[in-house]
Amino acid sequence: MHRISNTPVRALAVSAAGLLALTGCADRQNDDETADFPSEDITVVVPYDAGGASDLAARTLVGELEDELDASIVVENRSGGAGSVGLDHLAGQDADGYTLGYLPVETVMLGHQGYDIDPSDYEPLGQIVSVPATIAVPADSEYETLEDLLAAAEDEELSVANSGTGSIWHAATSALNEEAGTQLDPVPFDGGAPAVTAAVGGQVDAVVAGVSETATAAEDDQLRVLAVLDDERADAMPDVPTAEEQGHDVSIGGWGAIGAPEGLPDDVREALVDAISSAADSEEFVETIESSGNIAVNVGPEEFQPFYEEENARFESLFSE
Amino acid sequence: MSAVAEGLGALADPTVLLCILVGALAGMLVGAFPGITATMSVALASAFTLTMDPIPGLAVLLTIYVAANFGDRVPAILVNTPGTPASISTTFDGYPMAKQGKAGIALTTSAFSAAFGTFGGLLVLIFAAIPLSRMALSFGPAEMFALVVFGLTMVVGVSGSNLLKGLAAAAFGLVLSTVGRDPITGAERMTFGVLELSDGLPFIAVIIGLFGIADVFDQMLTHHAGTATAIKNLGRWMPNRSERRRMRKPALIGTGIGAVVGALPAAGGDIAGITSWSASRRLSKTPGEYGHGSMEGLTAGDSASNATLGPSVSTTLALGVPGDSVMAVVIGSLVIWGFDPGPGLFASQPDLVYTIAGIMALATVLTLFLSLLRMRGVSKLLELPPHYLWTVVIVFCLVGTFAVNNSVVDVAVMLVAGVVGLFMRRLGFPAAPVVLGLILGELAEANLRRALEIGGVSEILTSPIALAFLVVAVASVTLPPALRRLRRSRRRDRRPVS
Repeated sequence: MHRISNTPVRALAVSAAGLLALTGCADRQNDDETADFPSEDITVVVPYDAGGASDLAARTLVGELEDELDASIVVENRSGGAGSVGLDHLAGQDADGYTLGYLPVETVMLGHQGYDIDPSDYEPLGQIVSVPATIAVPADSEYETLEDLLAAAEDEELSVANSGTGSIWHAATSALNEEAGTQLDPVPFDGGAPAVTAAVGGQVDAVVAGVSETATAAEDDQLRVLAVLDDERADAMPDVPTAEEQGHDVSIGGWGAIGAPEGLPDDVREALVDAISSAADSEEFVETIESSGNIAVNVGPEEFQPFYEEENARFESLFSE
Repeated sequence: MSAVAEGLGALADPTVLLCILVGALAGMLVGAFPGITATMSVALASAFTLTMDPIPGLAVLLTIYVAANFGDRVPAILVNTPGTPASISTTFDGYPMAKQGKAGIALTTSAFSAAFGTFGGLLVLIFAAIPLSRMALSFGPAEMFALVVFGLTMVVGVSGSNLLKGLAAAAFGLVLSTVGRDPITGAERMTFGVLELSDGLPFIAVIIGLFGIADVFDQMLTHHAGTATAIKNLGRWMPNRSERRRMRKPALIGTGIGAVVGALPAAGGDIAGITSWSASRRLSKTPGEYGHGSMEGLTAGDSASNATLGPSVSTTLALGVPGDSVMAVVIGSLVIWGFDPGPGLFASQPDLVYTIAGIMALATVLTLFLSLLRMRGVSKLLELPPHYLWTVVIVFCLVGTFAVNNSVVDVAVMLVAGVVGLFMRRLGFPAAPVVLGLILGELAEANLRRALEIGGVSEILTSPIALAFLVVAVASVTLPPALRRLRRSRRRDRRPVS
């Protein structure tokens, strides 16, 4: 820094150059040589801040994807509006395969919460992660099982922290209420960590959060996880039963896919789907995701597309109430 | 004792030392760039450090964290542009000092105070992590709300000479804090359909606009009238003995306040800096100097905002949940490296805690040394003819603001805030209360609503911590004027007698 500041004129030149680079003024040549895709750099838009779970998943995958496609790939974080800012930006890009995006579960939720986001604007190319919901109580709580908690919540309102209004964990709380006829009162916090802290500190009766968010606190006996809201138990907490095992068929959670603006040329889509699938299978990717406490998956678009539409319908009905 | 030796021994590796150097250079670079925050640089660096071994990786991340918080002060002092909210209080006295031809001593004072505060905070990390983390856990929404209300009373302190205008500015800030989606129901408020405003006005853009850009605009217009005074004289560099003695009290106040505030989740350097500045002013023998280039004020604010670093790390490690966004990145990396942050960490891997404290201490020493070394160079910036300097500042502010979110909306907000700030300045309204209102308003509302959601009004009234803060808040606003009146009436009573 001090070299730059020593010569202010250079500082000006450097920052001007930086500005040009940042605004991406290099005009993309649109020669449509799809035969040798990719022939230029690819951008992956992540609709959340650098450093979060979605960013980690996207960046880890991109590291592998670069090898698969033999291209350099830039991760661009465009956060804000619960993910709507980045998704909106992605929808407006050319469907040429050079701009991809990380599609979180919010892609099918935001449209039903008053944000101008339409899931059909995106073409999922493959699901790469799954983040099952868990429900946990403070370690010294009187509730030992999911049944205890739900029984108590039939007569009185119990406060249940989540990471924010309209988040998947907020929706998961509503889904539990709908299934069990209970009065769990969702209390939105500003992110997953403060929500978990509130439960650890006994400020709320329970918390709904992702497996990776509750696992650490549970290992230290600060939280007791009552149920995993998924079809199968989670590897990170093999002793915790699913909600279904305890008689409540609720399966809900976060997921992440790589997608593109709708309307990719067929050969480009094929090339991308193959590359993403190989990258999602790579040891490096699986290890990183699993060690962060989430689940690495590799679901191709044929299988994922129907799920994507089901989820959209599910949240439409969940939020219309 | 062996844990200390083992933990610090891990630092003797040349790779680790090299990583600390790289982190310090990178951190100081980004810190000096307004808008680019420690969070962003740590997040970007974490993509690289994940492939490294844990200790060198931690060395890079933590050093960037420490160094960025140092570098932050430079633009705040020289061009009135706080790089992040944590250096807002630096502008209160640092910039006036620079304008009085004391930029040199302001920069060194700020650097020494920051280093002092960081070391104070590290003591907390080493000795008091577990008890402090328990205290942090008892801070739920009700307690946070009360703390924030107490924070809002600081408006009185940062209002300058005209209290009414200060209160008006704070009210304006509170109104601005309601922009964005409702924190509980998610309903849109004053977003005008702009997705980017869903999370509220971007703080950093508003701060850079109100302080830096508004100041440049102001100087440009003033310069036309031929009354601009360029900062040419940097003055002395090192504080003399009596100045050093005067810095002791504010440095201790600042470090104490910073250490406590830093341990709380969701409260950071910005609140610590402003609170400490305000508290130190009240306890000072020369409160009138505060805000007009007081070395005490500069010392109090900068030691406090840096004293938050150690406790913030300690709460994060002891609870296993991140205290701020930088810590979220660090904890994510730790988990992937196979560590297990949480209360158990201090028992099972005490050496790691000492390694972390050691890295931060080394980073502080190195950054302090680099800061003192490069200061003369940096302040050459001020020898530029004003119109070149303005261009540099504006370009830096534009790029920095854009880079936070890759968002043009943020840039627009910054420019609008710049114009608003210019008018406020011309009409005699202080800018700091607006920022205070904006930052604290959002926290106050969200936490109050959460507390009400959880347990109604009794949630607040039954919390001793919350009640204590509310009582102190009311007292700090009402007592001083009441006492003054009492003293005045006593004097009046006495007069006829004598």
